[in-house]
Amino acid sequence: MNGTIFNIQRFCTNDGPGIRTTVFFKGCPLSCLWCHNPESQRGEREILFYKEKCSGCGRCKEMTVEDTDFLCYNDAKRICGKSVTVTEVLEEVLKDRLFYENSGGGLTLSGGEPLAQPAFAAALLKGAKEAGLHTAIETCGFTSERVIREIAPVVDLFLFDFKETNPTLHKQFTGVDNARILENLRLLDSINKESILRCPIIPGCNDRPEHYEGICRLANELRHLRQIEIEPYHSLGEGKYAALGKPAAHFDRFTDEQVQEIIQTIQNGTAAPVKKA
Amino acid sequence: MVSGNLKQLRELVFASDNNACFIERERCLARLEKEFAGDTAPDKHARILSTLLSEVSTPVLDCDYFGGRVVEALPDEGMTAPNLLLMSKGHMNPDYEGILRVGLFGVLEKIQKNAAKKATPEALQFARNAEIVVNAVKKYTDRYAKEAKRCGKTEMARALSVVPCGPAYDFYSALQSIWIIHMIASCYVGSRDYAFHLFDRYMLPYYEQALREGRSEAELTELLAGFFMKTNEICGRAAHNYKQKPVRSQSSKQYVNIGGERPNAFSHTVLNAAVMNKMAQPQITVRLKPDADTAFTDHVFAAMSVLKERLHIYNYDLILSMLQRRGIPEKTAKRFCFSACCSFDLDYYTYRREFFVPGPQLLVKLLHEKEYHDTDTLLRDLSEAMRREMQGYADERQNGVPSMRPMFVFDNLLLPAAADLCEAPCDGNAPHSVINMFCPGIATLGDSLMVLDKLIFTEKRYTFAEFVQILDQNYVGHEALRAEILAMDRFGNDTENDRYAVLVGNAFLDAVDRLALKKNFHAIPGFYSLERDNVWREEVAATPDGRLAGTPFSENQSPTYGADKSGITALLCSLAKLPFARTATGGLNLTFAHDVSPDTLKALLLSYFKMGGLHASICIVNKDTLRDAMVHPEKYKTLTVRMYGFSEYFISLPEWQQLAIINRTAY
Repeated sequence: MNGTIFNIQRFCTNDGPGIRTTVFFKGCPLSCLWCHNPESQRGEREILFYKEKCSGCGRCKEMTVEDTDFLCYNDAKRICGKSVTVTEVLEEVLKDRLFYENSGGGLTLSGGEPLAQPAFAAALLKGAKEAGLHTAIETCGFTSERVIREIAPVVDLFLFDFKETNPTLHKQFTGVDNARILENLRLLDSINKESILRCPIIPGCNDRPEHYEGICRLANELRHLRQIEIEPYHSLGEGKYAALGKPAAHFDRFTDEQVQEIIQTIQNGTAAPVKKA
Repeated sequence: MVSGNLKQLRELVFASDNNACFIERERCLARLEKEFAGDTAPDKHARILSTLLSEVSTPVLDCDYFGGRVVEALPDEGMTAPNLLLMSKGHMNPDYEGILRVGLFGVLEKIQKNAAKKATPEALQFARNAEIVVNAVKKYTDRYAKEAKRCGKTEMARALSVVPCGPAYDFYSALQSIWIIHMIASCYVGSRDYAFHLFDRYMLPYYEQALREGRSEAELTELLAGFFMKTNEICGRAAHNYKQKPVRSQSSKQYVNIGGERPNAFSHTVLNAAVMNKMAQPQITVRLKPDADTAFTDHVFAAMSVLKERLHIYNYDLILSMLQRRGIPEKTAKRFCFSACCSFDLDYYTYRREFFVPGPQLLVKLLHEKEYHDTDTLLRDLSEAMRREMQGYADERQNGVPSMRPMFVFDNLLLPAAADLCEAPCDGNAPHSVINMFCPGIATLGDSLMVLDKLIFTEKRYTFAEFVQILDQNYVGHEALRAEILAMDRFGNDTENDRYAVLVGNAFLDAVDRLALKKNFHAIPGFYSLERDNVWREEVAATPDGRLAGTPFSENQSPTYGADKSGITALLCSLAKLPFARTATGGLNLTFAHDVSPDTLKALLLSYFKMGGLHASICIVNKDTLRDAMVHPEKYKTLTVRMYGFSEYFISLPEWQQLAIINRTAY
């Protein structure tokens, strides 16, 4: 079975417990204003062009998105998106088996949205489970109940995004309503799946007391929540917007003190541990 | 919790002047140089040391935990410091275990007995020199004891009236004994890199005795931290080979070896004291068994996450099995240690040396001597060229007379082999003479072989002669080719291409195995580059891996900076393919952009050791901090970074070296 991914990253220490390999899926049903992986949004292949790295050698003149083997020597032009098989991905993932064993780590699927390619994600996770790996999936949760029920048995830990409490604002920020997302999260909790809530906090968007309260309310009703991870906005994705020829939205950045304050505010409303991701 | 005394001692280290010398030594030796001119008596240097020790002062500060301090001041006008009338070789592990047990008087007695038995004029003279030196040390420490008593330092006064000439009688006196010996060897005779051997083993009985006598763990840890702090007083903060302090012990790297077969309770105290000291010196070398007890392993990685480049680990099991395969008896093999970052030492019965095979230079030379069509022939010739270089060095050592012999006045008391034989151990007659054989630039060599194989031997994109010409032109006019080479999967990405570095590694190790050595000589190989960029880089022309002429080749065991693009686990998987099982030394510096948790360090490095990794040291490099330190050095006096196999103060480095550190691949 084939799927479309845009990266396999070894030695990830922030995508679940221990040392992990994260597979980034291409394509996402949401379009968050602050997305730091804009190259992950579309399901199709795209070309990223970093003008400042280009030496003008001209080798890429005839290149198209189909030329997946093309290698720009200056790393100025990259094709984002590659069709891969489950076997190919697992072969790469299993290279770090010893590191997973010694750290309690494993495989994490991220993106994009892994559940936008549900059959491929399920096959990959199943293969990983059969190989004895711990599995995690980072998801926005915007998928059908059927997909959630199908994927749940092969996932040890859900890194579940919670972006906005207010449904209207959620739609404004991400393009979709949050009702189905919340239903899916509650469903997972009801079938005893462990989760971590991942909450991006974006200045001027969702850095509001009502949303912090919403996070706490949600956390307090989940029985299998491990912790809440706060993801303060960072601008690392801005260069990628330029490389894709897309306009980037600009947001301010929080100071370290402000981030600590947000964490403390949320921590005051819940017993679940609150940490910076 | 750091006590006021420790803080004060640390401040004194940072307040000291890097241009200052040990002024009393310099003034005294300048005078003695004239007085002893023309003196050729065989006890000349023993008498010089004796006079020096009788004249220098014995300062004691309120904050001093131990006696033994050397007065510093800027050199007098016209003075060339350090004076070489007295000097030694250093770079060794003194037999503190034996000295603490019998004292220098005990060592002298053994020398006198052996000399009488040998009854040769040389042996008898050796014994007479030893007597002069030991008596001089006794008079010096007696004076020091009086001064300590006058200053109200009772424990210090009592210890100095006994050690180091008499045996140590408790934990404090043992550390006091070691310090005085270390200081005389480093500062007054003068040399660098005296290591503390298997510190946690020989200090254990004194530690246990102290606990029995009611001293608390906290008190002993602080005393030990005070002892560690002193190692910073003698070496200055200038960097080795860049900006030297005018003392013979300048930039001395002082290593404390711990761990091994059975880490003990005191191994933990050493780690705690090192964290409390948290200075550039001493550096902690952990001989780590991958399956050592969890409490010790956890403690090592917790300490590493704080001490960073000041603590490094070697794979104990891997080294032990390599030594045994080379026929070294198990008992001796188990006492291996390091007298510097990567300088292997086979117990304190050895005298060790180092030789760096100029691998990249040899490769460039071979490419100009003959046209090659396959990797096998090239590897065979490279291996033979390496062997010739190493054999030449080994022959000089096996057959020659060392020039340092007459001045080797104090170190002779510190190595049991010297006492047994009544001669200087550097004469090569010690039971074990170790030559560290280092192969620098392993990644540069491996990647070069890969490029030759792919582009020239297989694809035949250029004729051999054309490609050599491109190298001679330093890739000028062939920038696109160079960009293509640099974009290839070079060593460090866990790909099939790693096999080229492995082939070169084995070619080097085969060459070591073919060396003709006397029975007591051991060639211990490793992948280590030390001063690759300040000594050699300008000597090496462009290499097939895309490296330009005059630029540094790859560091130690590491990939070329920037070549490893697949993450640290991929890097470690690549490295573990190198034939480390045939080596016992050499270093790997892992650079991280952020702090790493002890759990992650443990998982990464224990996995690496289980895959066959040999060594690891970490460095946390925040590039913004380093750039700021270049602009505002005054704010970063204490900032240390990992160099090839040791720590240096970042602000002491020359600009190009600072930039090189900033440009390292960081994870």
